[in-house]
Amino acid sequence: MVESLLLALGVASGFIGMGWLALSMSQHWQQVRDTSLPPAKLLRALAAVALLTSLFLCLWVDHPSIAVLVWVMVISASAFLVAMLLAWRPRWLKPLVSWAH
Amino acid sequence: MKTATITPLHILSRTAAALLGGYCFVWGFTTLGIALAVTLGMSFGEARTLSYLLAFLLFTAVFCWAFATASLGRAWLLLAGGGAVMTLLGWLLAN
Amino acid sequence: MLQTFRQSMAWLHTWFGLVLGFVLMAVFFFGSLSVFDREIDRWALPETRFEPQPMPSYDNLLADVFPNMEAEEEELDAARKRIGGELPAQLQPVGWGAYTTHRDPVLDVFTEYSVPNPADPFDHVHGHLTLDPRNGTVLPHDRLKIGSEFFYPLHYSLHIQWQQLGTWIVGVAALIMLVALVSGVIIHRRLFRELFTFRPGKRTQRSSLDLHNLTGVVALPFHFIFALSGLTIFAFLYLPVGETVLTTPAQAHLMEEAVSRGLPFEPAGEPAPIASVDAMVMEAKKRWAERGMPGEVGFLWVTHPGDRNSFVSLFRAGSDRVAFVGQGVHFDAVSGRVLYEEPPPSVVAGINEFLTGLHLQHFEHWPLRWLYVLGGLLGCTCIATGFIFFTEKRKRNLKDAALVRRVDALAVTAVTGMVVAAGTILVANRLLPVALPHRGTWEEVVFWLAWLLAFAHAIWRGRAVPGSLSPAWREQCWAIALLAVTAVVLNWITTGDHLLKTLITERYWPVAGLDLALLASAAIAIRVAFLLRGRERATAFVDSQGSRALEVVRG
Repeated sequence: MVESLLLALGVASGFIGMGWLALSMSQHWQQVRDTSLPPAKLLRALAAVALLTSLFLCLWVDHPSIAVLVWVMVISASAFLVAMLLAWRPRWLKPLVSWAH
Repeated sequence: MKTATITPLHILSRTAAALLGGYCFVWGFTTLGIALAVTLGMSFGEARTLSYLLAFLLFTAVFCWAFATASLGRAWLLLAGGGAVMTLLGWLLAN
Repeated sequence: MLQTFRQSMAWLHTWFGLVLGFVLMAVFFFGSLSVFDREIDRWALPETRFEPQPMPSYDNLLADVFPNMEAEEEELDAARKRIGGELPAQLQPVGWGAYTTHRDPVLDVFTEYSVPNPADPFDHVHGHLTLDPRNGTVLPHDRLKIGSEFFYPLHYSLHIQWQQLGTWIVGVAALIMLVALVSGVIIHRRLFRELFTFRPGKRTQRSSLDLHNLTGVVALPFHFIFALSGLTIFAFLYLPVGETVLTTPAQAHLMEEAVSRGLPFEPAGEPAPIASVDAMVMEAKKRWAERGMPGEVGFLWVTHPGDRNSFVSLFRAGSDRVAFVGQGVHFDAVSGRVLYEEPPPSVVAGINEFLTGLHLQHFEHWPLRWLYVLGGLLGCTCIATGFIFFTEKRKRNLKDAALVRRVDALAVTAVTGMVVAAGTILVANRLLPVALPHRGTWEEVVFWLAWLLAFAHAIWRGRAVPGSLSPAWREQCWAIALLAVTAVVLNWITTGDHLLKTLITERYWPVAGLDLALLASAAIAIRVAFLLRGRERATAFVDSQGSRALEVVRG
C-alpha cells in the first residue's frame, strides 16, 4: 500500500516535472498564461528537481533494474500527456504555474 | 551526387551496399571482435555477448553512412571489403 | 547520396520508413498485445480462467507427466525426412523442462529427444504439453493460446516459418527502426523546441507531422531500446559466428565451461533413478534466500533424465527484477547434491540479461506493463502518422496519384485492417464450435482472411484527394467497433463471464481487462469514425463551394 502510494507520487512528480519543462518554453507558457515571458530558468530548475524526485521515488519502490524502466516510461508518458493537454485543454495545466507572478 | 542522377539501379545498389555490405561489415566486426577478445583472455561466451551488444549499434551507424557518403564505390569497398578482411583476420586468429 | 547529409538522411527516413513501416506497424501492435499475452490466453481459453499457480511438485506430479510425453508428430515427420528412414520406437530423452511465471495458471512442459542421425550428432525433436498444475489434467492440443501462441510469435516472426524468414524480415525492420530513429533525429529541425508541440487545428499534413514527431521523440528511449534489444535477443540467429567461422573456440568454450562447472556433458548410458526434486527445490530456495533474493522456481530442466549422469537445473523466477530467470543451481539428479551454483553475472552478461529481460518482461509490475503498452501504441501512432504525412504531402502532385492511392490503401490495411483482424480472431474464438477439429488452425485462418478482406476493402475505397482521407479509414473503424463489442458480448454469452462478474462479484482481471480494453477500443473507433465523417462532409462542402465558384467565374 505504502509502495503504491510512493509510486503514485513518483508518477505525479514526473508529470509535474515535464509540465514545468514544457511551460518554461514561451510558446507553451503563452498557451496557458498570457503573452508574458515565462520564468524559464526557475521552471527548468523546478522541473529538474521534480524529475529527480520522481527517479528517487521509483528507486525507493522497486529493484533498481525495474525502477529505471518505470522512470523512463513515466517521463515518456508524462511528456505525451502534457503535449495532449497543451493541444486540447491547455488551461488544465494552469495550476502548475498559478503561483508565478 | 545530384538528385537528377539517382537512377533505380543506383538506389538498388545503394540499398544492397547498406544492407548486405553492412551485414558483411558487422559479421567481420563480430568475428574479429570475438577472436581478439578471446586472444586477450576474455571467455568466448563473454566476448560473443559483448560483440552482439555492439553489433547492431554498429550496423545502424554503417547503414546510415552508406547512404550519407558521396561515393557508392567507396561504400561497397569499405563495407564488403572491410567485412571480408575482418572475417579472415578473425578466422586466422581463432584457428 | 544526395547533395547534403540531411537530404540523404531524409530520403533514407522517408523511403525505408515507408517500406518497412508496414512490417513495423504489425511488430509494434502485436508486441503491445503480447505484453498481456497470458491474459489474452485466459480470455481465449475459458477452461483456464483460474488464479496463477506456482511450479507444481515434481515428485508428486511432473514425475508422472514427463515419461509419458511424446515428440510432436510434425517434428517426427521432419526428422524422418532428415535421416531418410524410420525412427526407433522409443527415442532417448535429452531433457525435460517446465517454465512458469507469476501470471500463469497453466503450466508449459516440454521435452527434447535425441534423433539418431549420423550427419548431426545434436539432432533432436521436441514434445510439448500444457497442463493444469493443480491436478495434472492436460489441455487439448488444438486449443490456440491466442496471446502467447499467436499474437506473440506474430510480433517477432510474422508466422513465416520457412527458413525463419519472418524473423529475418522483423530483424531488418528493427534495424530500419533504429536507422529511422537516428535519421529522424538528424532531420528534425526543432527537436527540443517542439518536444511538446501538437497542433490538431492545422491542416492534416502539418498536424500529422506534429504527431509523428511527438510520438517518435517522447518515446524515443522506448523505441530505441526495444528495437535494439529485439535484435540482440535474436543475435544468435542473425550472426551465427560461433557455428560457422569460429567453431573451434566456440566448442572449446562449451567443453571448458562444462568441465569447470562439473556438469556431465554426455549421458553415461546406464539407467539410474532420480532423487527427490522437491528436496532440491527446497535447497535452491534456501540458497537464494541466503543470497538475499528469496524467490520461487521459474524454470526447471532435467538433463539426460533417467541416466546416471543426469542433473537437475533450477532457475529462480525473476518476478521482482528485470532479468527474467537466473541464479541457477544445478543438482546431481541421482544423489541430489549440489553440483554447481552459478555466480552473479559479469557486467557484460548483466547488461545482456537486462536488455533481454526488459524486452521479454516476465517481471511482476503491472504499471510498467501498461506503460509498455502505451510505448508500443505511441510507436504505432508514430508509424501511422508517418504514412498519413507521406500521402498528404504528395496528394497535391497529380504525378504521384497512383503512388498515393497505393500507399493509402496499404496504410489502411496496416492500421485499421490489422485491428479488424485482431478483433475477428477473438470473435471467431468465441463462435467456432468447441468440438471442431483443428479449431486453433481455423482461428488463424479466419484472422488472415479478415486482414485480406480489409486490404481488398482499402483498395476498393481508395482515392487521392488533398485533405481528405480514404473513406476506408472510417468504414474500418466501424468494423473495429462492431467486432470489439461483439467479442465482449460473445464472451458473456458463451462463458457467463460478464463485466459485472469479472469486475465485482468474482473479480478476474485478465478477462475483465481484455473486455474493458475491447470496449475502450470500440469507443475510440466510434469517435474517430464520427470525426472522419465530419471531415469528409466538410471537404465535400468545400469542394461543392469551389465548383460553384468556378461556375460563377466561367458563367
